[in-house]
Amino acid sequence: MLKVVVGHSEDPDSQGAIDEVLEQCFQDLMGMAPTAGILFAAIDFDHTMILEEILRVYPDIELIGCTTDGEMSSKLGFCQDSLTLMLFCSDTVEIHAGVGISASKNPDSAATSAVQQATVKRTAATKLCIALPTSYIGDGATANGEMLLKGLGNALGSEVPIIGGAAGDQSRAKTTYQFYGSKVLTDAIPILTFGGDVVFSFGAACGWRPLGRKSIITKACGNRLYEIDGISAVEFYQRYLGARLPSAENSLAVYEGDSERYYIRVPNSLENDGSIRLLADIPEQATVRLTGTSRDEIIASSLTSFQTALQNYSGNKIDAVLLFSCCCRRWLLGTRAKEEYEIIKNALPYSAPLSGFYSYGELAPLQLLGASYYHQETFVTLLIGTN
Amino acid sequence: MEYRDSVSNSENENENKIKQLEKSVRILQKRLERSEADRKALEEASEIRDLLFTNVIRELEESQATLEKRGQELETALKNLKALQMKLIESEKMSALGVLVAGIAHEINNPVSFIYGNLYHASNYFESILNLINLYQYYYPEPIAAIEKEIESIELEFIKQDSLKLFESMNMGAERILEIVKSLRTFTRVDESDLKTANIDLGIDSTLLIVNNRLKPSTKFPQGIQVIRNGTLPTIECYPGQLNQVFINIIVNAIDALEDAVIKNPQLLPTITITTELVNEQAVIRIADNGLGISEKAQSQLFTPFFTTKDIGKGTGLGLSISYKIIFELHAGLLECHSQPGNGAEFVIIIPIKQAKC
Repeated sequence: MLKVVVGHSEDPDSQGAIDEVLEQCFQDLMGMAPTAGILFAAIDFDHTMILEEILRVYPDIELIGCTTDGEMSSKLGFCQDSLTLMLFCSDTVEIHAGVGISASKNPDSAATSAVQQATVKRTAATKLCIALPTSYIGDGATANGEMLLKGLGNALGSEVPIIGGAAGDQSRAKTTYQFYGSKVLTDAIPILTFGGDVVFSFGAACGWRPLGRKSIITKACGNRLYEIDGISAVEFYQRYLGARLPSAENSLAVYEGDSERYYIRVPNSLENDGSIRLLADIPEQATVRLTGTSRDEIIASSLTSFQTALQNYSGNKIDAVLLFSCCCRRWLLGTRAKEEYEIIKNALPYSAPLSGFYSYGELAPLQLLGASYYHQETFVTLLIGTN
Repeated sequence: MEYRDSVSNSENENENKIKQLEKSVRILQKRLERSEADRKALEEASEIRDLLFTNVIRELEESQATLEKRGQELETALKNLKALQMKLIESEKMSALGVLVAGIAHEINNPVSFIYGNLYHASNYFESILNLINLYQYYYPEPIAAIEKEIESIELEFIKQDSLKLFESMNMGAERILEIVKSLRTFTRVDESDLKTANIDLGIDSTLLIVNNRLKPSTKFPQGIQVIRNGTLPTIECYPGQLNQVFINIIVNAIDALEDAVIKNPQLLPTITITTELVNEQAVIRIADNGLGISEKAQSQLFTPFFTTKDIGKGTGLGLSISYKIIFELHAGLLECHSQPGNGAEFVIIIPIKQAKC
């Protein structure tokens, strides 16, 4: 048995918002005691007070969360500057939280530490991991999401899918916060592991398509892109954007070998030497193309992500839906941002508690039994239930 | 008491309403702030997308132009390749034919040399025997009846008179065979594929000998084709074997043209005029016929591979294109055609007497 409830408030006042969220959860729980929770909160709230308030009401829950760039839930649909809390109650599904700190300095040990904290409490094998890693850690510096994911994969084993999204800060690109229990952290990686009688499925889709001609990365190191086709990364972008600086929506499609499969890499910051820092690593000699999308394609890919998850779902009933969508999708969708949530809500065979947020990087495997990837511009659906 | 409760309830209700209103105001304020920021971001994104699409379209246009250019280059390359392939095929054919002809010429040359070499001795021996017979007849004027009968039977007096002519004729025939063999060897020049100093006039004469049977009087040309040779050239640096191929292509074309002309005008005296001269350190070879000439349209395509005005199966359409390449590319020379329909055609070959070193 797994019971999931959701509370959501768009009251900008922190006290007002958490009171409203807790009230909604209390009513839906119908006296049941939650064991774990995930909180998605806009950046301007008083996060410390909110966490304390949740733990005051439910002192024993395993709680993680993060700041966002937009929130969604089955209570209010798509919102900005809001607060949404999902609570899990179950005596057959084991849910444990863990956190790793100094994620940018030592991603591997932060990931290992988070997994150790979560798994030390378990009695059943971990089947699923939800991770909400840091992205911006202050003054625009970022942690390496791929390294954190790799660390989690090493600590959990390749058979455990890692799904989630990187914390956001409403496009301020300064500092994001992660929550673990009553702690408000930055440069951290909180996780929630699921074991026991849990059933889940997931899907990921992007909606960005390559534009322009193919080029070769002639110089790159880690997440720093120096040269494309022998010209500096900035000059490459200037060919398309003129004097404007590349933004997250002008991402690159990076092709895998000679195939037509590609993944997305997003420009993050411009360096003085004409190079560009991306939000994840990029390999030298890879073929790249600039990408473009339309709002219809973005919405369509959200549905594709959900349908993939639904097709692979083997449980009796969907008890919870978690959505992780890239912040760039929200910017580009503008007034149609709410359609991402609505299309999923309409595609659900019956109503189910849903919670999600707009993130700075999405985590999900590309295939059912494959390793997890650090995605960008992507929409990830996670369906959870029991046998 | 009831009034107090009523007032208290009303106050609570008002307080709740105020709280709700305050919350609504907070939400609206936040939404307004956010809406403004989002609108700016969206406008920015829209401008960037416009720029992006404009530049992608420009890039596509550039790519299209590049592709068109590349397509043209490929088309030219394909044409060149086809011409080269044809040249190779023709060259292989000519090379194989050259080897064959040279082999045959060599094989004929040896036995003919025996014949030619021994004819002189055979003639002397026969003359000696005739002298001996004359001596016998002088000293024994009355031979026995059997000898008298044999002398009459073999027509000895005719043999004496004809034998000299016979040997002269055999000698002339052998010399002619030797000349033909020599011409064949000169023409094929299998051993002369490199640049060397050669006598162009000799090459032309050899070529004329090769096509001699088409120049002789025949049913098509009851009077034969008259060949007028003018001028001489010093030896020049050239690829003699290749030049002979050019001469034969042009001369055979002239003969074909004259065949057509004679059919239309049986009174015509078909003539090929070949003139060689040195002009400004350049060898100029003119080969002209008095046939029907070449139309302007055909002139514009004369050197195009596969272009032919001959009936199907008669011409490959390669002769002149190969000739052009031999003159233009191999000898850095010129091959021109001057013709006015009805007034014959003249092909002019101009090549430097010394080839530039690579």
